[in-house]
Amino acid sequence: MNESQLIARIIAGDRLAGRALYDTHAPRVYSLAYRLSGDAEKAREVTQDTFIRAFSRLSQFRGDAAFSTWLHRIVVSVVSNSRRTDVRFGREVTLDEAHSIAVAAPESDPDLKECIARSVERLSEAYRITLIMHDIEGYTHAEIAEILGVPEGTSKSRLSAARAQLRQDLAAFRE
Amino acid sequence: MDEKRLDEVLSGLPRSFNDPPPPPLDEMWTVIEDKHFNAATSTPRRSGSRSLAPWLAAAATLVIGIGIGRYLAGDPGASIPETSSQAIATAASAPNGIQSEVVDAYRDETTQYLGQAAALLISLPEAGAPDLSDARFAGKASDLLVTTRLLMDSPAAQDPKLRGLLEDLELVLVQIARLRVERNKSDLDLIHQTVEQGDVMSRLNSAVVTNQSGE
Repeated sequence: MNESQLIARIIAGDRLAGRALYDTHAPRVYSLAYRLSGDAEKAREVTQDTFIRAFSRLSQFRGDAAFSTWLHRIVVSVVSNSRRTDVRFGREVTLDEAHSIAVAAPESDPDLKECIARSVERLSEAYRITLIMHDIEGYTHAEIAEILGVPEGTSKSRLSAARAQLRQDLAAFRE
Repeated sequence: MDEKRLDEVLSGLPRSFNDPPPPPLDEMWTVIEDKHFNAATSTPRRSGSRSLAPWLAAAATLVIGIGIGRYLAGDPGASIPETSSQAIATAASAPNGIQSEVVDAYRDETTQYLGQAAALLISLPEAGAPDLSDARFAGKASDLLVTTRLLMDSPAAQDPKLRGLLEDLELVLVQIARLRVERNKSDLDLIHQTVEQGDVMSRLNSAVVTNQSGE
């Protein structure tokens, strides 16, 4: 059964079709949500919210873009809204917390790891999302552009600016 | 650290930055299934806020008119403040002897403010709409933002429901005000989603009715 058929069956209320579509996309949705939020509980909430919203709006999905693009657009929107709400209510993750939840590879330099986590957190929302999607999650500029609704050139320039800011922040580690 | 090392650091980010744990697929699906498939059979879905727009636009216009009328009727000699924020500041500095008038002034200004906020949200274009006068919306949102924050610090915000609404409106207005600085399609999407998620329009409508009846 292809994706269009699955979507039609979900609209008709078929739970098994829903689970099949969920199994296909949930791992990457969760991964992106975790990278963007840095918190397992938040990533779980974002993933759930994303699929609940996606399923309830499936009738509006016209297939102009790939379903995954449409879905990931919802992920970014949910995460952004959640972060803005957290900032407003003072629930934003502190830099120290961001460091502690930035799980590092064993060979990583702990000071450098801390510096990277802080630097990424300091980036503006647009730069941070673009950097994480491209350099960490491996999305192409074309995919990012479609998901964020910006020209491909904007995605490239945002990444370039984000990297430049990281380089500047990490200058202290220059030998 | 040289440039080469820096590139190595960047290429190592997938392993070193917020490396995700295995997703709790079954646990998440239980919630999704319950909220979507179970709720779908028992809860009628709300129609979109767009269908409410004509009614709310008329209500907002009416409310603004009534608010101004009340203000004039209460004190024929009084001049109309240029902005809601001016009126709130004036009311806040009133002596103790005229507390009830102050309360009335807050109510009137709150009513006027709510009407203006409703009118702004209704007139906000859809995300895909071309040729938007973002500066106009952003400017209006900035003005209303000042009033929102003044109201949040005023006795008008003692009502928890109204305070919650003001907080949500503050968030929405900040987003609209930012359209002047940087706008893309997803910004408007986000604003509409914030309004929809927070059920802002129906709460706004309810607050207008409650405030208008002086409860």
